[in-house]
Amino acid sequence: MTSEPVIKLENVWKIYQLGKVELAALRGVSLDINRGDFVTIMGPSGSGKSTLLNMIGSLDFPSKGKVFLKGKDISLMSENQLSQLRGKTIGFVFQEFNLLPNLDVLENITLPMVFQGLSLEKRKARAEELALSLGLKERILHQPAELSGGERQRVAIARAFANNPEVVIADEPTGNLDSITGKKVMEILTDFHKKEGKTVVVVTHDPNIAGYSEKIVNIKDGQITVNHQQAAEVLWRH
Amino acid sequence: MEALKEYFHIAVRNIKTRSLRSWLTIFGIVIGVFLIISLLSLSEGLKATINEQLQALGGEMVMVMPGGDEDIFSSMMFGGAQLEREDIEAIEKVSGVDTVLGYSFTGTTGRYEDEAKQIAIAGMDPWKESLEILGIFQGWDVAEGRWPVKDNEVVIGQVVAYDVFSREIKPGSEIIIKGRKFIITGILKSLGSRQDDSIVYMAMESYQDVTGEKRGTAAYAMVKLEEGADENIVAEDIEDTLSKTRKRRFGSDEEDFSVITSEKMGDIAGNILGIIQLVIFLFASVAIVVGGIGITNSMFTSVRERTREIGVMKAIGAKNSAVLIIFLFEAGIIGFIGGIGGTLLGAILAKGIELYGQAHPVFYFTASITPGLIIFGLVFSFFVGCLSGFIPARSAAKLKPVEALRRFE
Ligand SMILES: Nc1ncnc2c1ncn2[C@@H]1O[C@H](COP(=O)(O)OP(=O)(O)O)[C@@H](O)[C@H]1O
Ligand SMILES: [Mg+2]
Repeated sequence: MTSEPVIKLENVWKIYQLGKVELAALRGVSLDINRGDFVTIMGPSGSGKSTLLNMIGSLDFPSKGKVFLKGKDISLMSENQLSQLRGKTIGFVFQEFNLLPNLDVLENITLPMVFQGLSLEKRKARAEELALSLGLKERILHQPAELSGGERQRVAIARAFANNPEVVIADEPTGNLDSITGKKVMEILTDFHKKEGKTVVVVTHDPNIAGYSEKIVNIKDGQITVNHQQAAEVLWRH
Repeated sequence: MEALKEYFHIAVRNIKTRSLRSWLTIFGIVIGVFLIISLLSLSEGLKATINEQLQALGGEMVMVMPGGDEDIFSSMMFGGAQLEREDIEAIEKVSGVDTVLGYSFTGTTGRYEDEAKQIAIAGMDPWKESLEILGIFQGWDVAEGRWPVKDNEVVIGQVVAYDVFSREIKPGSEIIIKGRKFIITGILKSLGSRQDDSIVYMAMESYQDVTGEKRGTAAYAMVKLEEGADENIVAEDIEDTLSKTRKRRFGSDEEDFSVITSEKMGDIAGNILGIIQLVIFLFASVAIVVGGIGITNSMFTSVRERTREIGVMKAIGAKNSAVLIIFLFEAGIIGFIGGIGGTLLGAILAKGIELYGQAHPVFYFTASITPGLIIFGLVFSFFVGCLSGFIPARSAAKLKPVEALRRFE
């Protein structure tokens, strides 16, 4: 794989201003996410995993350093351009599912395609295909409140897959699920990686997933401590 | 375009889950639109009614009535100082004046076949000439029977003949007014206004006998001009002459009468109508501003409650404009729903007034509720909603995705 990384972080800092106190949630993180990677981010609570994931997902801008999405420096893009590119390239799965409560299952899955301006027929066909493959066929007209946690997370995953993104980013996707349901959710993500060759970045404490992963990023106090496959490279940069 | 449809759909879904309390905010819009719609639908009818009355007054006629210019309408409604015999004689001498008709008008009870009802009576002086002149110049005509020739004979309008009493009045019948017996010789063709059709017309002397008013006086004078005379010049001359006779009599030059040409009458009526419209319009504006602020408020609440959802939408690719439009739609639809309420109430009120007017003689009115007016009411309120929702919608659109996602509510 010689092509450029899908997402590249270069010496990224994120500093939060808490009144007079400055809190550095990320301190000089550099990371390449290549096409087809399965990356697991691990670390204790408050270590900066979510903050790092926000950077990887272009949801936020670094205080210092650069983030490249498909080779483009995101700080040079307009808010709207970034929204569009992010919506097309990256799918998000959150710990709290974050479905829109007033829309039904099918509409939730459809939403990212609406924002990309896809036609009604295409949206409908794709959403139904996803609902079918994720076992949500019977549920498409239900409201999120009527679903179990596992079903909600599958809807969220279907939504993340909607625009056929190159990367799916998941922040503790099984954190609110029991272990059996969580396992199923993780299977969906590993299948997505295995069968479709897509890039997955996941924050998790699950050692099984870590075992599956080709690349594990350990983070502590906003710094990458072990980056299994890139350790040499990181050292070389220092 | 297709995305717009979808944004609209999302806005509708969001509206359906609003709390009942948040709907109270549209009350101002309902009232404002209600006022505007009833105002617009009735003012056409009001104008038509006034023009009808002016038409009945006629072109070649000048009216002289008691009371200064400022309170013409109050003296028309409640009566004022009478014109004296001396005044009327003075008017007759003004050049350009052909005939002066005295005219008085009041309400009283009339009795027909053991049935007593509230009716209006008018006295005219001189009796036969008045009828002739009105016949020639205003097109008055009898539909049934004949013109009166004696002082105890009267003619009546269509409404008196057919609507007031439970039994229709036939020419030749008797009507008793204040104990005096009158023969109804004829029933007039409609005079074009329901008000004029609701009157029993009689000789001035009989009128004064019935009401006890002084001989030789009149509430108004209708002045018929000579052919070719200029309405405005004659009106001015009448004013001068009257001022002099009155000054001689009362020793003051306070003008307590008005000389009104049909043109001036139209102006005055137009002015009063304008003031009424302005006042209603101001009330409507206040109601709409209050309603608009209510919508702004409830939209801010809505944005606050859905901050997380906004964050999610932005994360999955919503542009600022998409979020803006979704919230603008929501505010617009709320305004629109208020508009439906207001338009409906306005149309009901206008129709109600029209129906009431058809049943009651002195208050004749038409309401014009056109499709254009209804569309205007709805589009207008949608627009007010959008405008009120703009600032909250923009604040939603400007939220940063991470910050919005972090917020828990
Ligand atoms: N928006 C924010 N404002 C202030 N502090 C924040 C913000 N986001 C995260 N932090 C702080 O940054 C640190 C890292 O947070 P986070 O990335 O959420 O950790 P993790 O996901 O590993 O638990 C924590 O101390 C957290 O309190
Ligand atoms: Mg976290």
